[in-house]
Amino acid sequence: MNAELLKKLRTAVLLGFVFTVIGLLIYSRIMAYSLAPTMKPADFRGLAIWEIPIAYLIDYFSHGWICLVFAFVAAGLVYEFVPKEVITKYMGSGRVAGYGLALGMAPFLTVCSCTMVPLFGSVLFAGAGIGPAITFLLMAPAANILSILLTGELISWELAGVRIVVSIVVALAAGIIISKTPWGRAIEKEHQPTVLTGQASIEIVKPPLDERLWSSLKFAAYLAKQILPFFLLGLVAVSYVQAYLPEDIVGTYLTGVTGVLIASVIGGPLYTPTLVEIVLGKGMYELGMSKGALLAWLMGQPYDVANALAVSRIAKWKVVLTYMLIAWAGGVIFGLLYGTLSGSL
Amino acid sequence: MKEVKVEVLGPEPPCMRCQAAKKAVEKVAEKLKQTEISVKVEKANVMSKDVVSKYGVLVSPAIAINGVVKFMGRVPNESEVEKTIREAVKKEA
Repeated sequence: MNAELLKKLRTAVLLGFVFTVIGLLIYSRIMAYSLAPTMKPADFRGLAIWEIPIAYLIDYFSHGWICLVFAFVAAGLVYEFVPKEVITKYMGSGRVAGYGLALGMAPFLTVCSCTMVPLFGSVLFAGAGIGPAITFLLMAPAANILSILLTGELISWELAGVRIVVSIVVALAAGIIISKTPWGRAIEKEHQPTVLTGQASIEIVKPPLDERLWSSLKFAAYLAKQILPFFLLGLVAVSYVQAYLPEDIVGTYLTGVTGVLIASVIGGPLYTPTLVEIVLGKGMYELGMSKGALLAWLMGQPYDVANALAVSRIAKWKVVLTYMLIAWAGGVIFGLLYGTLSGSL
Repeated sequence: MKEVKVEVLGPEPPCMRCQAAKKAVEKVAEKLKQTEISVKVEKANVMSKDVVSKYGVLVSPAIAINGVVKFMGRVPNESEVEKTIREAVKKEA
């Protein structure tokens, strides 16, 4: 009886926490309170070198903490409650299902490359083909819950929406194109599906609600621990960019067709799967980067070197280079398109 | 003495969460030694062809008990693992 009561109490406290976080975000929306840093480049003039990052971090966290906490909690909850066994159940059942699952599930699996690469490998081995495997691999970092929430909150929801659509198109295109190339086919042949025997051997235990809530918060904390140190370093870098990068340089080089090209090229190697690209992109957008260049910049994830290295062990360099090229071209094309359509190229 | 085979399925090299899952399983195994249940803990590569052909595409970390995947994509706590192992033993009996 006592244990039962304790369990109920635990569930209530955890639910209370989750709803408080959601409530805070809604409240901040209603009050039209800015969740993004408000310092403008001009505010940094006159600060000593060591004061710049401190001032920026204080500014950032005084506004951004609600958004960050919400993003991590949401990512944790979604990851916990999304029925992951669906992937196991349907991944082997044909190409269309494979692409559908890759596009539909990847955004909810906010995970580091340590989970994505094994998933990539096993999707391939399960016989779903190289196409869905590549789509899966590109979709997860490009448009997962965490990065979309932060793009929306920090930059704009319009851009977040565009980011989702473009990620879907690029990931799908890369998957389909690679599955048609001779080297893509070769990989597929090399990993001919072994016969699936164990469709019945999955019986996921559904833990009680308090366990699931606790486990999703633990996952949120894990994500935060992985990402925040880099995120902080990124913010320090952003503060210097804002303080020292002259606006006319950004205005000259990060607008127009050249801007999209440059942003797509430097966005790649600088990309770390740590959401820094969002803050850095915002910083440069404020200095005058065009919307088109900003999108191209944000689409830089597929160049993630650590991921590429791991994938190349399974799928050879040719495949990796092909998907990088397609992702880069996608970023440029959609950057130009979005820039033109939104009138900010 | 009843035997149970528990496989911890994760990538190679192991990621942090898979190590946490394995640790939980090992602790339970240690505890169950005193209760007539012998738990054989194995680590398997989630991406190996053997695992994929046996279980299909899994989200790591996953834990399979006597060849049935019971946990996937999460790190269960010790009491959950223990309960699930005990249930598996009961089912076998």
